[in-house]
Amino acid sequence: MLDVGRHPNIELMAYSEVENVEGQTGAFTVTVRRKARYVEESRCTGCGACKEKCPTVVADAFNMGMGSRKAIYTWFAQGIPSTHTIDADHCRQLQGKKCGICKKVCQADAVNFEQKDRIETLEVGAIIVAAGYEVFDPGKIPEYRYRELPNVITAIEFERLLSASGPTSGHLHRPSDLAVEARIEELEDEARKAKKVLEKFEATHKLDSAVFWEAVGRGEDVGGADKAKWADKYQAFLPVAKELETLRAKAAGFDVAKRLAFIQCVGSRDLRFYPFCSGYCCMHSIKEAIIAHEHGPETTSTIFGMDIRAVGKGFEEYKVRGGNQSGITYVRGRVAEIMPGPGECPVVVYEDTLSQQVKRQAFDLVILATACAPTAGAEELAKTLGIERNGFGFFKTSPLAPLDTTRQGIFVCGCSHSPMDIPESVAQASSAAARAVQAITAVSGPVVEKLRHAS
Amino acid sequence: MVIGGGIAGIQAALDLAEMGIKVHLVERLPSIGGKMAQLDKTFPTNDCAI
Repeated sequence: MLDVGRHPNIELMAYSEVENVEGQTGAFTVTVRRKARYVEESRCTGCGACKEKCPTVVADAFNMGMGSRKAIYTWFAQGIPSTHTIDADHCRQLQGKKCGICKKVCQADAVNFEQKDRIETLEVGAIIVAAGYEVFDPGKIPEYRYRELPNVITAIEFERLLSASGPTSGHLHRPSDLAVEARIEELEDEARKAKKVLEKFEATHKLDSAVFWEAVGRGEDVGGADKAKWADKYQAFLPVAKELETLRAKAAGFDVAKRLAFIQCVGSRDLRFYPFCSGYCCMHSIKEAIIAHEHGPETTSTIFGMDIRAVGKGFEEYKVRGGNQSGITYVRGRVAEIMPGPGECPVVVYEDTLSQQVKRQAFDLVILATACAPTAGAEELAKTLGIERNGFGFFKTSPLAPLDTTRQGIFVCGCSHSPMDIPESVAQASSAAARAVQAITAVSGPVVEKLRHAS
Repeated sequence: MVIGGGIAGIQAALDLAEMGIKVHLVERLPSIGGKMAQLDKTFPTNDCAI
């Protein structure tokens, strides 16, 4: 990533979208919308003083909604370019309210609330589409109860939980426990505010609120002129204190997730959604189980799948090693349903096809290996580029020209071509780069040769 | 021009740039990296994704 930001031959246009493409191979004219960041890219040093002071807290999309960020933010800590961006939908200033704190604290004077989208026109020889994919929404499978049960999560959400830079700093806290902890924080805040008010009464009358409340209960005349107000405030404080106590007792028993279940083929190899195999999910689940075991040696994982497709260099050995050394059990069988269980532990109902028995097993955390779906913007991008998509929504190619789209001079690689893992994406990207050079060469002579002479 | 700054887009852009070709890399989000940047480690070597 860093190399891209530094390379003299690459102009990085982040936070931008292609709006129109005209022309043909060797002479495309492309219109690109550079969306307003409200921060001058050339001035921002990425110091982060603005986001520290920004008062608006927003759910962090990079962390799949777990954790939070500010209205002025970087997509992730090591992001390239390191320029900050203001989220116009949440920024108080841009929503017409009074704020502007980020502008005040920015020493580089980079914040510019007046910035507008810019339209740039580029002349390019060939286009490579590497628009990526979207994680299948498992909410479409009601029997898996994603969103309904907090401890049923997707593989990419689990990835963020595992990450040292993620919302839990790499500790496998369960989402249900995190929700309780967030509620405790909220209540503590409320209790702190209420106590401040109560303390004022206590100081004036030199009487503890609890003693005062008891006296009020006995019908005694205490508190003088403040009696009604004090009683009201104390009455409002009581349920907060009670809930806080209950939740704190509950949180004392929280532990990290130790029994993990991985459900394969969620959305893929499923005739209701995508009949294809997404290819990388088996290995992805094995990897997550191995890393989880590295984080906590007592962690055990069960991977439920029709079969484990470990096709690739070193993949089969990786799978076997996971089983032998990382506490992974492979169960052959498709999961029928995920049910609610005691202690927020989801219960997986499945048929073990080897023993031919229907079984139920409770887990701390269930991870869904979601399918690789075409990216949400694929339809619009196909229209903009004037290329076709296949029946699933990926960009159309033919078996004998696997990187060529239906429009000459436009090539496709990575998961916007079809589901594939990282090594395959990288290999295909290099091929697409070569194809692009070939295409330009065919119309305007050998480009690489020309460049060599020019330099 | 390369559309998309995930692992595929980054690799394609770098390959072209290394060949001496000027590349415009267009990314929808504020930073490049794509889905791979969200991953903790990669299989089968458990290398860091970033």
